[in-house]
Amino acid sequence: MKKASFPSVLSTAIVCYIFWLIITGQLVNLIAGEPSAQVLISGAVVSIGTALFAAKFFIHESPFYLFNPAKFFTMVFYCLVIFMGELWKANWDVAKRALSPKLPVNPGIVKVPVNLKSEYGESMLANSITLTPGTITMDIVEEKGQDYYYIHWIDVASQDGAEAGDAIKGTLEKWVGRIWK
Amino acid sequence: MIYAIYVLIAFSVFFALAGVVGMLRMPDAFCRMQSSTNIATFGMLGVIIGGILYSLCILDMNWGFAVKLFCLGVFYIVTNPIAGHAIAKAGYHHGVETVEMVCDKYGEDME
Repeated sequence: MKKASFPSVLSTAIVCYIFWLIITGQLVNLIAGEPSAQVLISGAVVSIGTALFAAKFFIHESPFYLFNPAKFFTMVFYCLVIFMGELWKANWDVAKRALSPKLPVNPGIVKVPVNLKSEYGESMLANSITLTPGTITMDIVEEKGQDYYYIHWIDVASQDGAEAGDAIKGTLEKWVGRIWK
Repeated sequence: MIYAIYVLIAFSVFFALAGVVGMLRMPDAFCRMQSSTNIATFGMLGVIIGGILYSLCILDMNWGFAVKLFCLGVFYIVTNPIAGHAIAKAGYHHGVETVEMVCDKYGEDME
């Protein structure tokens, strides 16, 4: 385990502090110009303490990457539009399967190649796939410089890695690649 | 506005119902997990969005309520797949009983 560098602690502390402001409701008070110093200071102490312990698990690559507005808004667009579209298709499909009298399932585990460099990108794509009904990422392995996911798929349309990858990932991989390289 | 909220919650309840029926009917543990993701995504999002609209429109711009619901949704979305992934992997290594699979590349590669 690498030791946490100062920038990674700082970026983790900033994110923690923003969440503290939102959840305690201080953000509204701050905008109205009547913040409570007690809450602000205790929040700073807690978020810096949390960041000191958590940063080494949380951040391994460039710490301020998502503070770049273009990348951040691409991610918001991905979450709200692209991912919701995929989610809608998959949800409807699995709901139909569950309610249909014949219960048409055809389960299997396929191995799918992934072309993303960043480890954040890989985990984001894996989480997106798991969150889509009908597919669960079970493991990530690296073989000869190429990363693979093992995916449990409720309706195996193709056992070939590349074809299965196109069917499962759809446009998700392209968009995650735009966010994380 | 209240009718839009009703529609969102009814939509959510439909997917949650489909998820529960799937969990009861599916043949093995992994397929049950697939069906339960229905509840974790649309079954939750519709209720969260409905709640946000309710707190903003009916409860007269109650921002604290809305923002807390939003955070609840975000954390749910972020943490749920990690738990699902861990359960699936642990279940597979433990050797949970499954129906006949079309292909099992994971088992083949582990040998």
